[in-house]
Parts: sequence; structure tokens; C-alpha cells
Amino acid sequence: MKKLLLCLFLSLVFINHLSAQELFTYTEPASNMAKGTLGFRVNSTLMKDEVELRNNLHILPEVMLGISKKWMIHLEGFLSDRNNTLIAEGGALYVKYRFFSVDDVHSHFRMASFGRLSFNNSDIHQDAIDLNGHNSGYEFGFVATKLQHKVALSTSLILAHAFDNKNEINYRFPNNNRDAINYTFSIGKLLLPKTYKDYNQTNMNGMVEFLCQTNIKTGQTYVDAAPVLQFIFLSKMRADISYRFPLSNDLYRTASKGFLLRLEYNVFNAL
Amino acid sequence: MKNLLIAFTFLFFIKAEAQVTKVSLQASGLTCSMCSNAINKSLKTLDFVENVKADVSSSTFEIIIKTGTAANFDLLKKKVEDAGFFVAKMVVTLNVNQVEVSNDAHVDIDGKMFHFLNTDKKLINGETSFKILDKGFVSAKEFKKNSKLTTMACYQTGYMGSCCKDKNAKSGTRIYHVTIS
Repeated sequence: MKKLLLCLFLSLVFINHLSAQELFTYTEPASNMAKGTLGFRVNSTLMKDEVELRNNLHILPEVMLGISKKWMIHLEGFLSDRNNTLIAEGGALYVKYRFFSVDDVHSHFRMASFGRLSFNNSDIHQDAIDLNGHNSGYEFGFVATKLQHKVALSTSLILAHAFDNKNEINYRFPNNNRDAINYTFSIGKLLLPKTYKDYNQTNMNGMVEFLCQTNIKTGQTYVDAAPVLQFIFLSKMRADISYRFPLSNDLYRTASKGFLLRLEYNVFNAL
Repeated sequence: MKNLLIAFTFLFFIKAEAQVTKVSLQASGLTCSMCSNAINKSLKTLDFVENVKADVSSSTFEIIIKTGTAANFDLLKKKVEDAGFFVAKMVVTLNVNQVEVSNDAHVDIDGKMFHFLNTDKKLINGETSFKILDKGFVSAKEFKKNSKLTTMACYQTGYMGSCCKDKNAKSGTRIYHVTIS
């Protein structure tokens, strides 16, 4: 509970100083992609492994599709070199449904529900549940996003459940503490341009995301912060650079801090 | 052959639409250029759209309509909504030839039905702009406020029904509620 209040407090402190777009990096906003738009993404993370004393590279290619104004899906792949060579370890299906929207000029309040089904064949090496490249399992949750002129705040609440990871052998999830709650707060600021003129201007956004997880059985929690610098080119390409680190860390993880680079390209009216 | 030509000419006049020359559309729910571009690209897929000029900072799109084509305002709205946003304001500009309009009354302008609200009785001629007041073409707040301007049920549905006094009114015909902009 203390961690949750810490997240909330930090978010409120930052929201007073920042104004934002809602194209967050570690979390999805309640808004969807336009119908028929295809997005291609590659997330690369380089996380410092404090047990093996090396840096783990994870590469997560992702294809996104706006099915309708309310539905979108992502197909994700997971590759990592944690066992020295870069190998495919699994994938996921992510589905989001926007069910509430109150819009005005330059503002909106939206809510969406979403779910992810992941599979992963790597060995399980930590108590934290990460369905984005570490664990097989499922999660579902809700996200609410408020955009007010150039200020945006997004928060989500997610219930995650881990399966065993299956390969030639069955990697059991430790101690059967398979359920966790994830809660996130995301804020940011449009740094450039000062005034929008056309679609060719490069946009620069600064964001901070707080990513928290509490294991339901043990109560162990981590609270991470991730400042993000984001560039948008030609109103269709994105590059995000971030450094994620723990503010509080009593849920066992082997690699909790490191860099992320995301590259994204969107094709409007692709379908 | 002569009869066929007469029939074709007759059909042509019955089907003729008011020539909409341009539409100014303001979208709601966005500030970022990538969101604006999604709407811009979506609008450009419509076959009656000649060109779209976007003002990213005000979320406004000036849409030029191809000459000889019939603009479909509902399709323009749908494209904005498919992109994930809403229409906050739509002003359509038509070439009108000596049409008398009056408050809370229907007018057929070359095959497109309009219901004028908050409008004095007058003769309109030449290039004229109408602001559409239908549900989904203005904010929910404005739509509710404007509901006081008429008691006719077609304001709520956007389609002609038993409320419509026009003798030639066909039930189920799309009717746009507008005011002169």
C-alpha cells in the first residue's frame, strides 16, 4: 500500500510540471490505433543482470493492427541472449477494447480493458511476473487516460497470472506465487515543437512512467521509474529511449535496471 | 433511343446532389501530430475528397470536394471516428441557387435534405456555409443545448419520420439539421 501511495504521490508531483502526449512506452494508453492502421515495432532492452554479472539483450518485435475504432490487437515476439546466443523464446497476443470515451477539442478521458496471453520457453529465474518476454501466462486489466490540452495522465491496473514455462523440460513458477497485481502511472511532456505547423516537424516528448508490481500471495513489491525521451518523425515513425530503474525493490528480479530502445513505424490505411 | 435519353436525363436530374465545394471539420480528442495524421490519411481515402489541408494545432481539416461528386457528411464523420476521434464541428459549403429557407423547416437542396434551425426566413443564393448540428457532428453538450431549437423527433434520429410536415417527405431519408454559418 505504501508503494502504491508512493507511485501516486510521484505522479501527482510530476503532473504539475509536465504536459504530455499519451504515446507511452512501457504502457498502452486507453486510445487505439486508427482502424486499418498497421504498426511495426521493435523493442530492444539491455538490462543489467545482477546475478550473472552481464547485460541481457531482449528483442521484442511487434505488429499492431487497429481493427475498429474500439478494438486493436498486437502480436509480439520475444527473443533474448540471456543464455549467450540470441534465440526466440516465445510470443504473445495482446487485445485492447476501448469502452468509454468523452472527447472535446484537445482533450479526452478514455477507458479501455485489455488482455495479454503469453508463452515463453525460457528458464524461470525470478519471482516477478513479466509477460513481456519472461513468463508464460495471462493478464487482464483496465487503463484510464486523461488528455487535457497538452497534459496527459494514464493509469492502469492489471491482474497477471503466470503459468510454468514449457520447453523440453517444465520450468515451474517458483513457490506457486503465480498471481500479481501490476499498477502503473504515466505522465509526460511535449518538448518540441513549441507550435505545430505541419506533419513533417519532428516532435520530442519527455515522459516518466512508474511501473509497480505486488505479488498477491507474498505482498512483495517493486516500484520502478522509467524516464523516456521520445521522438516522432514525419508523424508516422517513433523512436523511444528510456532507462528503467527500481525505486523500491523487494520482489526478487535478476535484472531490474537497464535501457530500452523502441523503434516504430505506422502505415495508415494499410488494410 | 430517344426515350432512353429522356429517361437518362430524368434520372440524372432526380439523382442530382447539391454541389458541396468544401467541408471544414474540427476533430476532438487529440493534440498530437501522429493522431492528426491518422485522420488526415483516413479522410483522403474517400473518393469524393479532392484534397485535405490539415491544421495540426487546431485539429482542423479543410476538405476540398471533387467537382461533380456528392459529398457524404456521414462518411466524413465515420472516417474521423474510425481513426479513434470525434467530430467537434463540421461546416459545409454548397453552391445554392435561389433557395428559400426558414426556421425549423425542411428544404430539399438538389436532392439533399436540410432542416434549418436558428435561422431567419430568407433567400439564399451562391456559395453558402451550413454548420451541421446533428448528433456526432457537434459536442454532446452542444447537441443537448440545441435540442431546444426544435420539437421534431428527426433532430434526435437524423432521419425523416412522422414528425416531418413536408408532404414529399420520405420516411427514412437522411436529413441534416443545420444552421447558416
